[in-house]
Amino acid sequence: MTTAPTVPLRPRPAYGASAWAILQLTLPRTFTAPVLAAMLLLLLMPMGFGVVFAAGGFLAGDPTAFLVQRYDQLVSALATPILALLLGTSAFSAEADDGTLIYLLTTPTPRWWIVTVRMLFAMTGTALLSLLTVYGTGYLVTGLYDPLQVTRAFGVAAAFGGAAYAALFTWLALRTRRALVSGLVYIVFWEGILSSTFPALHYLSVRQWMRAVASALTLAQDQRLTDGPSLRAALIGAAIVIVSTVIFGSRALARPRLTRTAS
Amino acid sequence: MTSATARPTSASTTSASTTSASTTAPLVFTNVSHWYGDVVAVNDISCTVGPGITGLLGPNGAGKSTLLQLAAGILMPSHGSVALYGAAPAGHPAVYREVALVPEREALPARLSARAFVAARAAMLGVVDVPTAVARALALVELDTVASRAIDTFSKGMKQRVKLAAALVHEPRVVLLDEPFNGLDPRQRAQMLTLLEARADAGTAILLSSHILEEIAGVASETLVLLSGRLAASGDYRTIRQLMTDQPHVVRLVTSDDRALAAALMQEPTVLGVDLDGHALLVRTTDYAALARTVAPTAQRLGCTLFEVQVTDESLEHVFAYLVKR
Repeated sequence: MTTAPTVPLRPRPAYGASAWAILQLTLPRTFTAPVLAAMLLLLLMPMGFGVVFAAGGFLAGDPTAFLVQRYDQLVSALATPILALLLGTSAFSAEADDGTLIYLLTTPTPRWWIVTVRMLFAMTGTALLSLLTVYGTGYLVTGLYDPLQVTRAFGVAAAFGGAAYAALFTWLALRTRRALVSGLVYIVFWEGILSSTFPALHYLSVRQWMRAVASALTLAQDQRLTDGPSLRAALIGAAIVIVSTVIFGSRALARPRLTRTAS
Repeated sequence: MTSATARPTSASTTSASTTSASTTAPLVFTNVSHWYGDVVAVNDISCTVGPGITGLLGPNGAGKSTLLQLAAGILMPSHGSVALYGAAPAGHPAVYREVALVPEREALPARLSARAFVAARAAMLGVVDVPTAVARALALVELDTVASRAIDTFSKGMKQRVKLAAALVHEPRVVLLDEPFNGLDPRQRAQMLTLLEARADAGTAILLSSHILEEIAGVASETLVLLSGRLAASGDYRTIRQLMTDQPHVVRLVTSDDRALAAALMQEPTVLGVDLDGHALLVRTTDYAALARTVAPTAQRLGCTLFEVQVTDESLEHVFAYLVKR
């Protein structure tokens, strides 16, 4: 009888090395052609409005009011949440569908770390892309001149909201097999209609938290900005979403919903 | 077994081992049941899997994949307990240092290269020297020359080998394989067998599932037969094969003169009985080959025509059903 060659294993989880490995399994599952096309469209839409405004067409008017309206409608309620949805759900959903999640799960890597790496990836990606479209639109409308700091305020708000949305949707991807559809329903009905109609729901809406952050950072006076919850409520809300994603997401990952295979 | 003490695992108090020996056995099932909703997939299974190759035989839907996923800790038993070296695997990711599962499904991260995928696995498994371990695993499955290609350019057999390399990269002491021979041609099958036998010789416990008895014939030193979620039989290949050959086989004949042929066949020592079933004869025999040799000459002698000769019970389900009725 021969002896199997023993491969030395680290006594503790290798957080750095496994994070890189998780990312390698995440990137190709996330950036597929349809997702890239959708992301490009979302990034270009607010900038498209910026171009029309700059051309002095029918949208011409007060640049600050224009920016606040577009940022609130096209970034906070549309581009940022959908970017977060795509970045937060693609990898986990695809892996649960085709069963390849098993290759992540049958490793000693702690579940909370797998969730955290995926969540941080989605948060960073959403924040950076949201910043890109906010600053792009701002530049098209007012150039580098931003006296009321509208663009800077919404840039920070979009990065903050992007992170909160990304955490929320990472959890959703682990919670349900229909994360994309559930996420879209949430974005359209909860964030798009209910939260902006009923003030009581302000505390439970990422879009309203983004308004609170923007309002704290800009000198512009706009009714859209004064309605929202307090900055403190927004920060606490986002922190709860992020911590809950790690805790409940790791629990969901411990009981994976892999597609049933023929036994 | 030199490797049994190579990486000591902490014995868990949650394991419900029935004998003192089972705490050191690689894999022990104790009254394990698992149900999905109201569908019982695995029903009260108790058995021990030791070092060497164990075959898990059963028709599709028998609960083989469920049992393997229970062993790998992917599923939690609804009742009973699973112990890997004495510790329950479910909810304890540290067990994956010792156990690997090769799933039945072919899906792999399509756009990664085979090397990148196996390296990602190695890194997540905590392998200290990833490049060396990856190179060795890929060479083991003979994919080292094509390892830079994206996995979606691979054939079915190559994908099976990628799955195997991803499972063996950290030399686990327990390897669970779900239908590993699916999609392999005879040469690749022989290669995989050689590879698994070498692992088994080195002390690895290998549990592999199949729905074809001949596939694991001569491979598995021990075979577990699963039917409708229950353990129908267990033993070495010879025992299982004997159980199956002892069963009377039924051959259906459609002839021009049923009664004459029936009377003639009843004279044969291997024929246990003949039933007349409408327009067909159902001949029960202990020996296919003997019947095959006699039926044509007998019919010729009697001057009757054979329109149809059909083996009715060759399906695996039949054989398994027999084992369960025992």
